[in-house]
Amino acid sequence: MPELNPQTDERFEVSERTSMAYGTKFLTGNFPKEELYPVAWNRENNLFRQSLFIGLEGKVNYFLTAFVNQESLEVSEASSFLRKIDPITQENLLDYEEDEIQESIFRIRTSPSISCKELANRLLTLLNDAKEEEASIAIDSFRNFYSFFQINTNIKCPTISLTPENNIYASWKSKQNRVFSVHFLAKGSVRFVIFKPNDRHPEQQIRLSGTATSDILRETVTPYGVWDWISE
Amino acid sequence: MKGDEIPDQDHIARYCRPTQAPGGEIQAVAFFLREDEESLSVNWMEFLSCPNRESEIAQLRNIYFAKLNRVAAGAKIAVLKVGEIRQKVLMESQDRRNLKVLHNPEVNDPSHSGIYNLKPDYELIAELILQTVLEAYPARR
Repeated sequence: MPELNPQTDERFEVSERTSMAYGTKFLTGNFPKEELYPVAWNRENNLFRQSLFIGLEGKVNYFLTAFVNQESLEVSEASSFLRKIDPITQENLLDYEEDEIQESIFRIRTSPSISCKELANRLLTLLNDAKEEEASIAIDSFRNFYSFFQINTNIKCPTISLTPENNIYASWKSKQNRVFSVHFLAKGSVRFVIFKPNDRHPEQQIRLSGTATSDILRETVTPYGVWDWISE
Repeated sequence: MKGDEIPDQDHIARYCRPTQAPGGEIQAVAFFLREDEESLSVNWMEFLSCPNRESEIAQLRNIYFAKLNRVAAGAKIAVLKVGEIRQKVLMESQDRRNLKVLHNPEVNDPSHSGIYNLKPDYELIAELILQTVLEAYPARR
């Protein structure tokens, strides 16, 4: 699937609908009927909602919602996710962070290099679940996780969950009692756990944990054969 | 009584938030401590004095509902056996960790208890505990 860039793709046109409380814009894309671009997010009741739009008559709508009352806000039409230009407050900061997470999920969805397409769905579900608990994903942990997947594009989808500090915890498991779990911390740090069979003593299991940074995690765990079974 | 050790043959229940059980599958993060926590909150199931597991779960749901503002749809209850957790972690952790599971009653939650000695290396300990989960139930009816 080709990389999708709504701002530069000529197949998109921006239309605008006004509402009392929300400024909602739509990007309308024209695609072949068989082409599926499941990339629409809409925040209702403060939750992100993803919709699938199959190319009915070649039309795909992309919802771009400014999320909050816009009376005091300027909205950038050029952005795929509308920016709020407002004095910095804690609430605004959280909004910016959520927009960044949302935008990164969009990039994961449309990136041809990341093999795990399910990853965007899982992140979106996690984000929605966090919102239900009046929390979010810790932005530094998310950046670290996102950076890891940009470097390591051909790995299988992990199960992703949130720690009590709202950090991302990714876990790969296999039927052979193999576990590889990574706790994504701030500043690029990771803590990992490996469970693997002891090849010389099948009744035994090797268990270890460690600390590294996400950019060298692959080299760090190479001696334990982790990438052999988490790669596509 | 506060501080009593829960017998190895007894069971405890852990409330798992939806972000700790994506897709309904409980993950190791359900057994992570918050930075400022000394013990992992659980409920001592035998203390509830219910005739069967079904009524224990029903009572736990009432406790969660009373303590939390709301119980999310995807939340789960993990049921574990005290002796299995302690034995697993003792035998398989790198430092032969001796976990303590102690009764720690609260005013509105008399069966409240805690798992102590989870730190350091809590990710590995949590992965081991996860492997001892016996049953999982929805936390909401």
